[in-house]
Amino acid sequence: MSEATASMSEPGVVRLAGVLDYRSGPALRKQGKALIAGSDGVDVVIDCSAVQRSTSVGLSLLLAFMRDAGAAGKRCQVRGMPDDMREIAEVYDLDEVLAT
Amino acid sequence: MSVDSACAVELKGVSFKRGSRSIFNNVDIRIPRGKVTGIMGPSGCGKTTLLRLMGAQLRPSSGEVWVAGQNLPTLSRSDLFDARKQMGVLFQSGALFTDLDVFENVAFPLRVHTQLPDEMIRDIVLMKLQAVGLRGAIDLMPDELSGGMKRRVALARAIALDPQILMYDEPFVGQDPIAMGVLVRLIRLLNDALGITSIVVSHDLAETASIADYIYVVGDGQVLGQGTPDELMGSDNPRIRQFMKGDPDGPVPFHFPAPDYRADLLGAR
Repeated sequence: MSEATASMSEPGVVRLAGVLDYRSGPALRKQGKALIAGSDGVDVVIDCSAVQRSTSVGLSLLLAFMRDAGAAGKRCQVRGMPDDMREIAEVYDLDEVLAT
Repeated sequence: MSVDSACAVELKGVSFKRGSRSIFNNVDIRIPRGKVTGIMGPSGCGKTTLLRLMGAQLRPSSGEVWVAGQNLPTLSRSDLFDARKQMGVLFQSGALFTDLDVFENVAFPLRVHTQLPDEMIRDIVLMKLQAVGLRGAIDLMPDELSGGMKRRVALARAIALDPQILMYDEPFVGQDPIAMGVLVRLIRLLNDALGITSIVVSHDLAETASIADYIYVVGDGQVLGQGTPDELMGSDNPRIRQFMKGDPDGPVPFHFPAPDYRADLLGAR
């Protein structure tokens, strides 16, 4: 099983990598929250291009990070969602929510 | 061992007995990955028993039950617990917890099987209820829901842990036409969009044939036939034809075996 991580690959960019599921979700939630809290600037980008596989937990992480950014007065943008993650988002009618 | 990765579930030579009565005798069934497979047959033929064998709620008398590369009857209790996390079951009764509201019913498997924080559990519950069209019913109690709504809440709960295999036990029983149509659409949507393998045990021919990619017809403790819905509709096998066309009499007789009617009424002469 690959290790899932949330890291600040460049200023203001939280990079999610690996498999986003019930096992990795709790740790990723904490990592992402800390990264967003510690980031300078008014923009946060959640980069999903290194996500190998996502369940609904991955979508919940994106929502949680968007809430973190909003609470800190930052703008948040999601980019690089793999096709299968995007398809799951559509089943849950999240495509528009995540696009804002 | 199971060598076919195209199969999500594979039963090999499975026999099952209740006491001395044989329910299944040397049955082979292969459930293709990512497809909707119907398991059909008359009431009482053991369809639900088959589902319980696939979920390892029952152990076969002999034979192998392969799920995700594991032969379930050989697994330890803890390995079986893990294996079951990738299977969701929509029970015939719905089986909602009557003392919990809709939110807590769907949240239940997430609370039991994961360490996710409450805010993420709420997200996931809202997502699952949105998918079945019942996000607005989140605060209702089960006794405030119609039969069709209960079935949909149970479906939201069955997909809470993002299972790879979803088993439906008689999903259409007792549903009105609108609720049936909603369920048919949901089963297909969840299967295709989430990449789930769906197993639909049912005797409702029209609904099952409309969504199944492949169907097994079981009866008399064995697989009577298999194929696409069209192939089965055109089958020459009289037992399959009787079931698929709903004929009241045929190889499966209308009358349960009984003594001679005249003799029963008038006495033996």
